[in-house]
Amino acid sequence: MGTMQRAVRAGLIFLFLVCVAIAAIAETKKEYRFTVGPKASISVLNQYGPITAKPSAGSQVVVTAILRSDKVEVDHDQSGNRIGIKSHLLAGANAENGRVDYEVLIPADASITMHSLTGPLRAEKLGGDVTLEGAGALVDVREISNVHVHVKTMNGPVKLTNIQQGHVEISSVSGDVTLSSVSGPLVQVSSTSGKIHYDGDFGSGGEYSLISHTGDIDATIPTDASVDVTARSIRGQVENDFPFQPKKHTTFPVVAGSSFAGTIGKAASSVVLRTFSGKIRLKKR
Amino acid sequence: MTCAEFQQELPDVLEGVSSAEVEAHLSSCTLCSELVSDLKAISEQASELRASEEPDPRVWQNIETVLRQEGLIRGPQSERLFLVTPSRRRWGPASWLVPPAAAILVGFVVFLNRPVFNPVVQKPTQPTQVAVSTPPNATAATNSEDDQQVLSEVEKRAPLMKSVYEDDLKNVNSYIRDAQNSVDQNPDDGEARQYLLEAYEQKAMLYDMALDGSLP
Repeated sequence: MGTMQRAVRAGLIFLFLVCVAIAAIAETKKEYRFTVGPKASISVLNQYGPITAKPSAGSQVVVTAILRSDKVEVDHDQSGNRIGIKSHLLAGANAENGRVDYEVLIPADASITMHSLTGPLRAEKLGGDVTLEGAGALVDVREISNVHVHVKTMNGPVKLTNIQQGHVEISSVSGDVTLSSVSGPLVQVSSTSGKIHYDGDFGSGGEYSLISHTGDIDATIPTDASVDVTARSIRGQVENDFPFQPKKHTTFPVVAGSSFAGTIGKAASSVVLRTFSGKIRLKKR
Repeated sequence: MTCAEFQQELPDVLEGVSSAEVEAHLSSCTLCSELVSDLKAISEQASELRASEEPDPRVWQNIETVLRQEGLIRGPQSERLFLVTPSRRRWGPASWLVPPAAAILVGFVVFLNRPVFNPVVQKPTQPTQVAVSTPPNATAATNSEDDQQVLSEVEKRAPLMKSVYEDDLKNVNSYIRDAQNSVDQNPDDGEARQYLLEAYEQKAMLYDMALDGSLP
C-alpha cells in the first residue's frame, strides 16, 4: 500500500514538473538593445500585459520582453532617435497567450509612450516626458521631476507618487485617481465617475484642477498650505476644514454647503475642485 | 475680447488668420485655446486618413455643410474639407470611427457658436422663459447610433472590454446631458461651460481609445 502511494505521489510530481517545463518552454524571454542619442523617443504598444519603464545607465535602451506563447511576436524598429516596440498578435491570440511582459530601460532624458489594454503600466525615476494610455490598465508613476506626465485610462486606476514640478494631465473615465505628493506648474485631473484623491501641499505657484462628474474629490493638505481655492459641487456637498478668506468675486454663485471660494495662506497656487454630483472635501493633514 | 466674440472669429483662427486681440485672448483663455487645439488636432488626424479606407464621401460633405451653415468655414467649396493622404497606419480598419469623433467636436463647436443669450434683455424673475434651445447638432453628439458603432467595433476587437465601454459611454453621455442642461439654465456660467467642454473631451477620449492601436 505504501509503495502504491509513493508511486502515485511520484507520478504526480513528475506530471507537475512536466507542466512547469512545458510552461517554461512556451514562455520566451527576449532582449533588444538600441543605442540612442540625447532626447530619444520610445514607444511601446502592448495589447495584453504590463510595461514597466525605468532609467538606464548611459545611452542604451534595453527592452526585455517575456512572451507567453508563440501566438505573439515582438516587432521593433529604430529610426534615428525614435524606437518603436510593438506586440504583434498572431491568429488565435487572446488575452492569455497573447500576453507579453515588458521591462524597458531608457536613458534619463528619453521620453516614453506606453500603451496597453490591460496593463499595468509603471514608470519610475525617469527624466523625460511620460505618456501612458490604457483602457483598463492600472497606471503607476512615481519619483519623477520636471517633466510632462500624460495619462489616459477608461476604468484603470491611476496612481501618481512623488511627482515634483510636473506638467501633469490625467484623464480617466471611471478609474480612481490618487495623487500623493504631486506638485507642478500644472496638474489637471478630469474624470467622469472616478474618485480623485489628492494628498500633498499644492506646491508653491501652480495651477491645479481636479474635476469629476459624479466622483468624490478629497484633497488633504497641510495647515500651512498656500492656495487660492474654488470648490463647487452642483448637486453634491462640499466640506472644508480650513478657515479661509472668502473671495468677493466668483464666476459662479457661492452657495453654502455646495460651494466655496477663498484663499488660504498667501494663495500661491490656484486650486479648482469641481464635481457635478460628487462630494468635495478639503481636509487638514 | 470675450469668449463669445472669440468664437465669432473661430473660422479665421482655424484658417490661420488672427488679430493681436485674438492672440491675446487665446493666450489668456484656457477654454478657447484648448478648443482651438482640439479642433486642429482632429483636423490633423483626419488629414492622415488613407484614401482607400475613408468613409463615404457623403459623411465629409455633411460635416462640411454643417460647418458652412454655421459660418465656421468660408470660401469656395473645396473638394474635401479634410485632406486625405495614404499614410494612415495607426487607426487601421477603424477609420470609419473618425467621423463620429469629428461630429462630436463639430457639434460642440456649433453649440458654442449658437446665439448667446443676452442677459440685458433677460427677465430675472422668469429665467425659465429664456431657456436656450439646444441645436440638433449638439444633440447629435450623444447620438446613440455612433455609440453603437463604437461598441460593435470594440466587441469585434476586444470583446472583454465591451461592457466597460458600454458603462463608460453611458456615464459620459449622462455627463454631457447634465453639463448641457446646466449651460442651458445658466448660459453665462463660465464654470458650466467648462463642465461641458470637459464632458465632450471625455467622450472624445473614449472614441479615441476605441480607435487606438492598443486595442487588438
